[in-house]
Amino acid sequence: MWLAETPMILLRKLSFGIIAGLPGGVIVAIVTKPPWLPWAAHLAILGAVLGLIIGDRRQSTGSAFSIGLLIGLLDWVAWTMTLAPALEGTMPTWTIAVAVSHFPELVGAALLGAIAGLVYHALFTWWPPKVAPQRAKPHVVIVGGGFGGMEATRELDRRIARGLDANVTLISDSNFLLFTPLLVGVASSTVEARHVSAPVRAGLDHASFLHGRVVSIDTQARDAYVSAGKEGTLRVPYDQLILAVGAVPHFFDLPGVGEHALAMKSVEDAARLRNHVLSSLERADLEPDPAEQARLLTYVVAGGGFAGTELVAELFDLVHDVLHFYPRLHGLRPRFVIVHSGERLLPELSPELGRYAQRKLDKRGIEFRLGTRVTAATARDITLDSGESIATRTLAWTAGNRPNPLVRQITQAPLVVDPTLRVPGLPGLWALGDCARIPRPAGGFHPPTAQHATREGKTAAKNIAAVLSGRRPVPFRFGGLGVLVSLGHRTAAGEIGGRRISGFLAWILWRSVYLSKLPSAEKRLRVLADWTLDLAFPRDIAHSTKDEHHA
Amino acid sequence: MRDAGFGALAGLVGGLVFGGVMAMIGFLPTVAAIVRADSPLVGFAVHLLFAAIIGSLFGVLAARQRELLFWGLTYGMSWWFLGPLTLLPILLGRPMVWDVAMAQALLPSLLGHLVYGAVTAAVLALLSRREWRFRPGLVVRASAAGLIAAAVLGPDWAGLDWAGLIVGVLVGASYALIFGDRDEGTGPALIRGTAFGFAWWVLAVVTIPPLLDGGGLDWALPAVRAATSSLPGYVLLGAGTALLTCWMGSLSRAVFSDDVRHTLDGRLAGGRVISTWHGVIAGLAGGVIFTGVMLAVGFLPVVASLVGSESEIVGLVLHLLISQFIGVTYAIFFRRRSFDPASGIGWGVSYGFLWWILGNLTVLPALLGAAPQWSDAALARSFPSLIGHLAYGAVLGLVYQRLEERVSPWHLTRSEANAARAAARHEQTLSTAPALWSLVTGMALLIPILLS
Repeated sequence: MWLAETPMILLRKLSFGIIAGLPGGVIVAIVTKPPWLPWAAHLAILGAVLGLIIGDRRQSTGSAFSIGLLIGLLDWVAWTMTLAPALEGTMPTWTIAVAVSHFPELVGAALLGAIAGLVYHALFTWWPPKVAPQRAKPHVVIVGGGFGGMEATRELDRRIARGLDANVTLISDSNFLLFTPLLVGVASSTVEARHVSAPVRAGLDHASFLHGRVVSIDTQARDAYVSAGKEGTLRVPYDQLILAVGAVPHFFDLPGVGEHALAMKSVEDAARLRNHVLSSLERADLEPDPAEQARLLTYVVAGGGFAGTELVAELFDLVHDVLHFYPRLHGLRPRFVIVHSGERLLPELSPELGRYAQRKLDKRGIEFRLGTRVTAATARDITLDSGESIATRTLAWTAGNRPNPLVRQITQAPLVVDPTLRVPGLPGLWALGDCARIPRPAGGFHPPTAQHATREGKTAAKNIAAVLSGRRPVPFRFGGLGVLVSLGHRTAAGEIGGRRISGFLAWILWRSVYLSKLPSAEKRLRVLADWTLDLAFPRDIAHSTKDEHHA
Repeated sequence: MRDAGFGALAGLVGGLVFGGVMAMIGFLPTVAAIVRADSPLVGFAVHLLFAAIIGSLFGVLAARQRELLFWGLTYGMSWWFLGPLTLLPILLGRPMVWDVAMAQALLPSLLGHLVYGAVTAAVLALLSRREWRFRPGLVVRASAAGLIAAAVLGPDWAGLDWAGLIVGVLVGASYALIFGDRDEGTGPALIRGTAFGFAWWVLAVVTIPPLLDGGGLDWALPAVRAATSSLPGYVLLGAGTALLTCWMGSLSRAVFSDDVRHTLDGRLAGGRVISTWHGVIAGLAGGVIFTGVMLAVGFLPVVASLVGSESEIVGLVLHLLISQFIGVTYAIFFRRRSFDPASGIGWGVSYGFLWWILGNLTVLPALLGAAPQWSDAALARSFPSLIGHLAYGAVLGLVYQRLEERVSPWHLTRSEANAARAAARHEQTLSTAPALWSLVTGMALLIPILLS
């Protein structure tokens, strides 16, 4: 690498190149008698270029000769035919007449290059570069393979390619990066589950991957302990560690909620919810009791933020798109309820867009319970803090998250990092994403979104590279590009760069943006194929696993 | 010593053939003058002595190389520069003049040196018992490739009609017999074919017809210049034959291989999509450099006429788009083939030369409704474009290599499988690739001798 090499190595290449050019240069000078000063300067530049191009890479004698000849011939094109006339103030024309007039220089360039290649090879063979003693490389460990952790690893991976001298290991309990914004697509059967997850290993060229779950971190000894299946617990020493373990669903210890609510954090959660909804339709189709049938066809989503709003809209589309497969349910009206503790949906958006979204969903018949919370759940119903009870067998939960339990092993308090993403008081420890609180320059904390996590990962990686190179880390700054929320059937709403958009165009933009953000071209094509086929064919109602109720 | 000895023996055989040529063109008395004699026999003896010494040097120089034909040709070309153009005048006590008139007078000697290099390489390969296996299937495949390539070039690509198809078959068959089945990828195969097409031109157009006509060997400038118009056709035939042979082999492996491990090697580099982007960027960089030549010779309006315009701006946009397209083809064909800046420049320059013949002399006139511009006058007119193509190729190859190394640096290994990639670079220096780069470039830059 040119960038990574030391000045001494560079000097050695340049000086060897210049020395190698001397014998041929003298011979050519004797024959062609050029003005000595420009010729010497040209010779020095040619030698330096030769040194840079051949470098300290191992060559055979023949190869060095041939490459020298090639460089000599190209020197004739670049110097004699182009730069020399340009420096004399005449426009190069490269005509055959000019080439003929410069034929002596061509012969000289060929000889000069070939001799220089051989001499350079001889110099490197006689005085081979001293191999520097290998020093232990610093070990950078990234815990968590979500957006933040993966981006940090990829950035470090790229920096290794450019010369960063470090070992990098990503540790994650899943061997894929889950593209969570499209998880609702999995739940609503518009996207295949495998298509929203990209293998971690496919994205890493130089970093290592360890498939396991970090169970504890000794921040004093700088060791991470990893549970890796039958291998038991592994100790992984680190010099720098990025904690990017994300968040887990939080049920606030509400009675029955933990047992009966369906979370939406993983691809398994999404597949489980999809199977559950399709199963409820199958059971409703068999159910003779109208009350139980209505219970089965009632779907409640807790949480009116992005995830909850998108989920209720997509579940609405799923159920209505496949209802024609169930003749006994024709004429029935499935019920969809969204429970939200705030006074309006989508607090992340402006009030106008929040109202727009509510109006759109309301027109479809989706019911709202605003300013209220779920307080309890059973297999047959849920209870709200208003006292209302809703008979349902489906409760999807997007109403609360909390940092991964690993964070509590490090600190009981919320994990607040400094603006450079370092954890204060714990040298070598960095944190980002949903598991950390990252201060904003204007006050408050950055929101836990994918776009923020991605950029935090990149910043953390750059800062670690800076620290390893003896430079100062820089603060994380990101204002967000905008937000987009899908409202189901060809409708979306959002704010991009302060401009509000809604409707079909917003929906096109939503799909385009998320398609472009998918981790690889292959996944983009697969999701695009899913969405395209979805335009022509009804959704797939096959269970992805055996239906437990009918087993 | 063993290498030098084998080389000397091989050089003696090459010298015998070259000596025969010298006898035919009456050059032996000139050689004899080195020892102050004028007898052809003395000249032949001196020539053989030199041939043995030069052969022994070749033995040392090429001892570790995997295959030798193109090394021999490059070596022969280099000795033409060093021998008759440089050392011979010194030994004869004459002033050393490197002008075109001298080079034109020594054109038979250039071809003789190429023959000497080829024969010496062949004998050295036999002496050092390099592995060679006759594969009938490959001969059939390459012959078919040559036939198809000749058919695509049209009925009268080299002033031949149906005989052109036979030449195509012969080119294909000889390609298979000499090079065997090399899984080297499309790009290197194209460049190998380009150089092979040149060698066939020397043999089939410049050498054999005068011998068959009974007029003796005629390598003098007028005869060679008259044959120049068929050079582009032979170069394209060689490149096309190599390309199709390579593709048919890949297709055959893809269809009939029942072992998924055969695809492992291709999966160890950066993805194809990122390579394509690298090709776009590198092509653009090369195109920007080439624009200087385009502006100087006022060629942009000609490019614009492809879309019915005469505007230089339209021409520039089109030129840059074409540059990027060729950059993408380079990325597809030469992905994972350039391991350091030298090999990037080598492949790029060679590819630029091929596109001068394919694009500037063949496809562009065809798109403008004219016949391919292969005449010696057209080649002479297009010389600035040749320089532009070589510069374009050098920048394209270098930039692409630098970009590819960022995602697949050969010098950093993460696993044993990736270590194979590091070894591949070293293997390339031992292959015929470096000889091909300088041979193709030398071939391109010696065109003025033929056309001035």
